[in-house]
Amino acid sequence: MNTPPESLKQLQTHFSEAVFSDQRGLIAESVTQQGALSAEQRVGIYRNSVHGILWQYLASLYPVCNQLVGEQFFEGFSDLFIDQHPPTTPFLADYGDGFAAFMREHEAFAKIRWINQVAELEWARHQAWHATNQVVSDFSLLGTLTEEQQLSAQFQLPDSMWVLHSPYAVHQVWLVHQPEDYGGKIPLEEIQLQQDDYIIVWRSERQLQQVQINEQQWQFLSAVRQNKSLAELSEQFQEQVGVLLASAIQHGWIISFRHY
Amino acid sequence: MEEHSCGIGLRFEHIDRILKEQPNIPWLEVLSDNYLNPDSVQQDYLLSIAELYPLSLHGVGMSIGSVDPFNEDYFSLLKALIDRVNPQRVSDHLCWTAVHGRVTHDLIPLPYTDETIRYVAGRIREAQERLEREIVIENVSSYLQYKQSVMTEWEFFTAVVEEADCGLLLDVNNIYVSAMNHNFDPLDYLHAIPTRRVRQIHLAGYEDRGTHLLDTHGNHVTEPVWDLYAQAVKQLGNIPTLIEWDNDVPELEILLAEADKAGSIQLEHAA
Ligand SMILES: [Fe+2]
Repeated sequence: MNTPPESLKQLQTHFSEAVFSDQRGLIAESVTQQGALSAEQRVGIYRNSVHGILWQYLASLYPVCNQLVGEQFFEGFSDLFIDQHPPTTPFLADYGDGFAAFMREHEAFAKIRWINQVAELEWARHQAWHATNQVVSDFSLLGTLTEEQQLSAQFQLPDSMWVLHSPYAVHQVWLVHQPEDYGGKIPLEEIQLQQDDYIIVWRSERQLQQVQINEQQWQFLSAVRQNKSLAELSEQFQEQVGVLLASAIQHGWIISFRHY
Repeated sequence: MEEHSCGIGLRFEHIDRILKEQPNIPWLEVLSDNYLNPDSVQQDYLLSIAELYPLSLHGVGMSIGSVDPFNEDYFSLLKALIDRVNPQRVSDHLCWTAVHGRVTHDLIPLPYTDETIRYVAGRIREAQERLEREIVIENVSSYLQYKQSVMTEWEFFTAVVEEADCGLLLDVNNIYVSAMNHNFDPLDYLHAIPTRRVRQIHLAGYEDRGTHLLDTHGNHVTEPVWDLYAQAVKQLGNIPTLIEWDNDVPELEILLAEADKAGSIQLEHAA
């Protein structure tokens, strides 16, 4: 059994206090005085380095939020988040969940709630990119089922899919903060922020997708997500159900089905 | 021109271009931690790359020197990735990155003591058993020294790799950065390295912060590091060398030119 030395355990405990709580005193006592920097300053290089790595990573996850609040505020806010929610796995892609919730708790965001929703959208994009690959059903097989089987069919959205209904124009805000120029790009001030927005994000093969949908499409996808059968969907959407289903399949918003 | 063995680090920004244009690169080093999830788009990309180029898997997630137990998920995912892409080398660092479940994602130095040598060498042996292969351990740059250290970094490094019976990844830039920060002669370090264990060399750029050199991997390799590299090649011979550049990542051409520069030093100085 390879037991870690007690002194190493203590050293690492103290070091991590400096990195994630800015308590540098204890570890500084274990650090040699040399050159122009004090022991505490040397420890500080590591705190800055860890925070720098994680802040840059958060800025890459939340590039629009970074622009909206300004880089300086974003960096300071990231420091708070990093100290209170340090990474807990060696997989960096796991990190940053809860950033939107952390914004919600912070009073600086009380009057700009819509920025939280932009953060949620950005996290959804990250999640969608990293979602597990899935096999797409052959939907032509739907036609070979008996009517009874068809009515029992339930449909699945991609695991990567995130469906948002926001009272704010989140998609448009996101769009005007993309680096690419496009016709009709307007400044943030000209966006009517208070308007219902329905957005879906998903990954199709190696492409991350994000589109605005209408209220009915949103209701349809929400019903599908609740595992409603084709019979129940027909009941709810009446004669629209055929168009809604066909278009969802065609866009890749529905990727598989099962029947009973 | 004769073939050299200097590769570059694969950066996600360049993947599409590399797949499409398939430039002539002897090998690529991959940050394994970003590609561990099976059935993910990231790993799909890597599998496409692995069909075209020899790979070396380089990680920071083992946290070799940590007092925490090894992360089981990390090792099983890494083992599965190794089985899939059959890399030439699998490497991580002589440092610790996480403790008590809090992960820094940074490379923090160890105290250079006999009990640390025994512990860390045991951890490396365990990692090699788990992965069923040799792993290669890299020296990190450092900005502080611990009072409890009783030997030089090169004595520590050498003792660990000998006792662990593992490979050694010599980061020439890290030697230079630490030498300047702690006032030792980088050649003393270089001359002490057990030549037969060296599997790979790293080169990168640092930043001069006035009070210390900071290992940023965000710029060209500097002149003194090129000089030290030439010395390393004279001593060690033709060792696969890699340009690390992961911040402010430049165009692919700039990385490839840097690798060619290393290659010409290699061809000039290797015995
Ligand atoms: Fe390195």
